[in-house]
Amino acid sequence: MFSRILIANRGEIALRVIRTCRRLGIGTVAVYSEADKDSLPLKYADKSICIGPPQPSKSYLNIPNIISAAVVCDVDAIHPGYGFLAENPHFADICRRCQIDFIGPSAEAMKLLGNKAAARELALKLGVPIVPGSSSVLEEDKKALEVAKEIGYPVMIKAAAGGGGRGMRMARNDASLLQFLAAARREAETSFGDPSVYIEKYISRARHIEVQILCDEHGNVIHLGERDCTIQRRHQKLLEESPSIVITDSIRRDLCADAIRLMKAANYTNAGTVEFLYDLDEERYYFIEVNTRIQVEHPVTELRSGLDIVEQQIRIASGEPLVFRQEDIVLSGHAIECRINAEDPISNFAPSPGRITLHSAPMSPDVRVDTHIFSGYTIPTNYDSLLAKLVVHADTREEAVACMRSALDEYIIEGVKTTIPFFKTVMDNANFLSGDYDTNYIDANFHL
Amino acid sequence: MAEETTKKTGSTILRVRRLISLMNENHLSELELEEQDFRIRLVKSVAVPQFRTVPALDIQLPEHSGGTTAKPSEDAAAKAKDEANGFVPIKSPIVGTFYRAPAPDAKVYIQNGSHVEAETVVCIVEAMKVMNELKAECRGTITKICVENGQTVEYGQVLFLVKPD
Repeated sequence: MFSRILIANRGEIALRVIRTCRRLGIGTVAVYSEADKDSLPLKYADKSICIGPPQPSKSYLNIPNIISAAVVCDVDAIHPGYGFLAENPHFADICRRCQIDFIGPSAEAMKLLGNKAAARELALKLGVPIVPGSSSVLEEDKKALEVAKEIGYPVMIKAAAGGGGRGMRMARNDASLLQFLAAARREAETSFGDPSVYIEKYISRARHIEVQILCDEHGNVIHLGERDCTIQRRHQKLLEESPSIVITDSIRRDLCADAIRLMKAANYTNAGTVEFLYDLDEERYYFIEVNTRIQVEHPVTELRSGLDIVEQQIRIASGEPLVFRQEDIVLSGHAIECRINAEDPISNFAPSPGRITLHSAPMSPDVRVDTHIFSGYTIPTNYDSLLAKLVVHADTREEAVACMRSALDEYIIEGVKTTIPFFKTVMDNANFLSGDYDTNYIDANFHL
Repeated sequence: MAEETTKKTGSTILRVRRLISLMNENHLSELELEEQDFRIRLVKSVAVPQFRTVPALDIQLPEHSGGTTAKPSEDAAAKAKDEANGFVPIKSPIVGTFYRAPAPDAKVYIQNGSHVEAETVVCIVEAMKVMNELKAECRGTITKICVENGQTVEYGQVLFLVKPD
């Protein structure tokens, strides 16, 4: 087991990892940018090292400074959190070359599955259903037109090196496809350093369903059930719940089995999530991508399984085999997470930076709050707007919704605008309550 | 008889304690004392830095930002005083280990009172076996050396104070 870990991240996930390390008796080193010098993770870590100015490229993405901090603090391992360097195979590789364990998959598995087009090819080879589309990266526009004709419009243009809902554009006809392909390639080059794109059929009524996987370094691969993350705005998840109430047990079994097969074939290790789109009209699922890191919404799975996924990540990375088999996993009740952002839902979710004058989180046995904010905290403007993850767990979905409604009422954040009012509306929305929604939910139900 | 032995042991311990204090006060690592009926050798164990074997990686380093307006992580009052005196800080742009000389037995780059130009090398910050020479990037006289040889430094940490010309 590791004796000291460096957390290469910030905000709520840094705090989350530090807390588990503390419980396990593992020493912690937090790294921070100058914008985060008053942040909570630093107060909980045993040691903290400033690694750069506020800009992410010079701090949380500054590999030399992070590795140097790890070496001078003599840590055994680095936990990358999510975002930043979490899915950077180059970083994972450097850590290991410096004899520092990277708490995540190997660089090779990350490279393979992190390339969306390569992951699709692997799925195709394994017989895991993929969204109809180009079998690989599109070298020529002519090919794109052929594929689009075959699968039918509208189509989604996706960046091979993209992910997390970024680098996607929809085209409705040949003309717009050609136009958007050029733009998509340019954007992909700028954002992800790789202009490769591929296309998929656009599924008009879809649910986003993902499966949490744990793989140890001894060949054991298990799943921890699925999460339904359909409620999104501009492809960014806002609310996640588990289980998904639209799929049958049979589909659930096949989905999880396919997820496991894919991860095994990729020689994946540590925690990861396999994402699918479920076509509500055709009642079938398609693989879309793998996230080779811990996800923001992992608490939803933790509450149902009783497991600490960060702890499992640490144990796996330190070489321990999983102590449970698939049949030992029991998923109970229903969990819902709302991502509370510093955004004003009334002004089209415009970012609302500033100082939090009062933070008072709900306290109740069925409520969990993952947050790094506190009364008097000033939100830095350089990073994402996530303030807190509000998660509830109850025996049934109805009770979970009632818990969330109550928790949202109790949650006080003053000084900035937040999306709490938006979620209160969702908790009273008939379509959400009946479970009848797809990825267009927000546009369809809220005039923003 | 037992009481006498105890008394003798007690006074010996007191003596040893005094010798240890003497060593610490005078920064001695070894002391040997021989008297008629008493001989003792005290050796202070110095923590040998354990360098892990890391490959010297060719990694691009960010530019030295010695002249930024970013606040260093030190006592606010002391910092305010330094600023009031018009002293310019030389800050570390990287995380690593601070060395005053290019090698353990070599002369230090600069002392208190040394005059520096923009291109004057003031110290080394070693990051993973790469010895990064830091330049003053300002003109003036060194008035304070703020860190110790071998100390770990972080981004933005004030290394020296310079009284500008």
